[in-house]
Amino acid sequence: MNGVVAEGLVKRFGNFTALKGVDFEVPEASLVGLLGPNGAGKTTTIRILTTLLQPDGGHATVAGFDVVREPQLVRSVIGLTGQFAAIDEDLTGRENLILVGRLGRMRKARARERAAQLLESFGLVEAADRPLRTYSGGMRRRADVAASLMVAPAVLFLDEPTTGLDPRSRLGLWEVISELKQQGTTIVLTTQYLEEADQLCDTISVIDVGQIIAEGTADELKSMVGGDMLELTVADRTAVDKAVATLTQTFGLSPSDVTVDRELGTVAAPVTTGADALVAAVRALDAEDVPIADMGLRRPSLDDVFLSLTGHMAEESRIERAEPGGRRRRVRMG
Amino acid sequence: MATIAAPLDVTTATERAALPLTRVARDIGLVAGRNLRKTIRNTGLIVFSTLQPLMQLVLFVEVFGAVIGTKAGVPYKDFVVPAVLVQTMTFSSMGSGVGIANDLQTGMIDRFRSLPIARSAFLVGRTMSDSLRLGIQALLLVAMSFVLGFSFHNGFAAAVAMVVVIVLFGLALATFSAWVGLTVGDPETVQAAVFVPLLPLVFTSSAFAPISSLPGWMQPIARVSPITAAIDFARGLALGDRTLQRVSDIHLSTAAWHFGLWWAAIVVVFTTLAVRRYRKG
Repeated sequence: MNGVVAEGLVKRFGNFTALKGVDFEVPEASLVGLLGPNGAGKTTTIRILTTLLQPDGGHATVAGFDVVREPQLVRSVIGLTGQFAAIDEDLTGRENLILVGRLGRMRKARARERAAQLLESFGLVEAADRPLRTYSGGMRRRADVAASLMVAPAVLFLDEPTTGLDPRSRLGLWEVISELKQQGTTIVLTTQYLEEADQLCDTISVIDVGQIIAEGTADELKSMVGGDMLELTVADRTAVDKAVATLTQTFGLSPSDVTVDRELGTVAAPVTTGADALVAAVRALDAEDVPIADMGLRRPSLDDVFLSLTGHMAEESRIERAEPGGRRRRVRMG
Repeated sequence: MATIAAPLDVTTATERAALPLTRVARDIGLVAGRNLRKTIRNTGLIVFSTLQPLMQLVLFVEVFGAVIGTKAGVPYKDFVVPAVLVQTMTFSSMGSGVGIANDLQTGMIDRFRSLPIARSAFLVGRTMSDSLRLGIQALLLVAMSFVLGFSFHNGFAAAVAMVVVIVLFGLALATFSAWVGLTVGDPETVQAAVFVPLLPLVFTSSAFAPISSLPGWMQPIARVSPITAAIDFARGLALGDRTLQRVSDIHLSTAAWHFGLWWAAIVVVFTTLAVRRYRKG
C-alpha cells in the first residue's frame, strides 16, 4: 500500500518534452533508484510524484493516493529532500525541524522531542542552535534530510541527495538512507552516480531523455552487458598495442570493443567464457612476449551498463538537454 | 537511529489532510511567525529599512518645510507627513516580493508546497507578517513626526483610521510585490522590478505639492493615480475634510471611494495572479 506507481507520465515545458511517458513502480518498503544523467527527467519525475508539478499525461499514486486528485493526502505521507537544501538560512537547525514538524501537524512538544531525536541521530546536536547560514554543505544536507523525516514519512523522496557533498558526508548520508530502508520506509532516490545506485538501491530504473530505458537490480542490469570484462595492465606501456592486437585476435574482437588507457597502460576487453578466457589470454600474451603487471576478470560496472544502453557515460552532463534543474529555470517552468 | 522512521497509520494520514478553519489559522500563524522571526534576525535590514524613511521624514519636514512654509493655511509638515507615510508603505511593500523570491530561490516554497498545509497559508501568512511589519513601521514614523512637530487636526479616531489606511495600502501593494516575487524569482531583480514603476508614481501624485501646481501634462495622471488616492484619503483623515478640500480640491468622501476602488482593484488582481502563480509552482 505504501509504494509508488507511475504510469505513462508526460510533462512538457513549452515545446520541450521533459518526460515522454515514464513508467515505474516502487514496492512498499523498498529503495528504488532513478538513475540518469543531468536533464534525463529525474527531478521532473520527483516533482510530479511530490505534487509540486502537474503532469500533462499519465497518472501516479503514492501510498495509494493519486498525486493529481488527492495531493493533500499525498503530502501528508511523504518526505522530500530536493537538490537544494530547502531549509531556512536564518533559523537554527532546531527551529527548522520544529517548523516543518508543526506544519506537518505535530504538537509543539512532540515536534520538539522529535527534532531533538533527529538532531542527535544526524550528528547535529552541537550545531542545533546555530543559524543554518553557519552550516557546512554536508550539515545542511543532513539537516534537510532530517527535516523531511520529522513526520516519519511512509514514502521518502530523495532527489540527488548527495550531489555536491564531500565523500565523507556522502558515506554518512548513505548510512542514514540504508537505516531508513531497513526500518521500512519506501524510498525513491535519484542519482547520477552509478556507484550510489549500486550501493543503495534494491532495483534501479535507468532514465534517459525523459524515458525509462532499463529496469532491474544492479546485477540484472550488469548481466545485460553480457559476460565479464578482462582487464590487464602491461608492465611496459609501449606494449599496449601489442596487447590489444593479441586480445582482439584471441577473442575475435574488433579494436573498438577494447577500452585502452595509454597513460595507465590498461586494456579492458569484453569476454564471455569467464575463467577460460583468462587462461587463453595468459597463454596468448605469454606467447607474444607481452609483459603483464596485473590481470583479472571484472564484472561489468553500472558505468558499462549505462554506456551500452545509452551510448554515453552517465556522468556526462548534457547542457543542450538540461532539464529545469537550475534555480531560476526551475521556478519559471514549474 | 532506531527511531528515525515510524510506521504510518493511514487513518491519521486522512485526518491530517482534513483542513478545518482552526488548522488553516494555525498554518498561517506558523508561516507568519517564521517570517517575523526572519525579519527580527536580520538586524541590519530592520535598522536601515526604518532609518531610511525616518531620514526622509526629517528631510521633508525640516528642509522643504522651511522653504515652503505653509500650504493653503496648513503648515507644510502637516501637509507632507501623510504623504511620506504612504510613500514609506509603498516602498516597504517591496519586502514581501523580496522575501518570497528568496523563499523560491532557496527551495523553501517547495518545502511548504510538499507539506500537507493549507494552500493559502503561505501567502496569507506572508500578508500577516507584512501587516505587522508595516504597522510597526507606520507607528514609529508617526511617533517621529510628533517629535518633529506634526499634529493631527481631526481627532484620535481619524488618526487611528489614517494609520489603518496606510497599512492597508501597503498590503495592497504587497500583493503586487508578491506576484512580482513569484514571477521573477530573484530577490535583486524583484527590488528593481517593483521600484521602477512605483518611483515615478509616487512623484506623479499629490504627495509633495498640490496637483494644481504640477506641470499640465502630469495633472490628469496624478489625479487618477492610486498613490494620490491613498495620500488624499490619509491626508483627509489626518487634517480633516475642510483642509483636504483646500489643499487638494477633493472631498474626504470622494477620496475615500477613490481609495476603496483602487485598493480593491489592486488586491483582487494581484492576489489572483499571485495565487495562480503559487499554485502552478
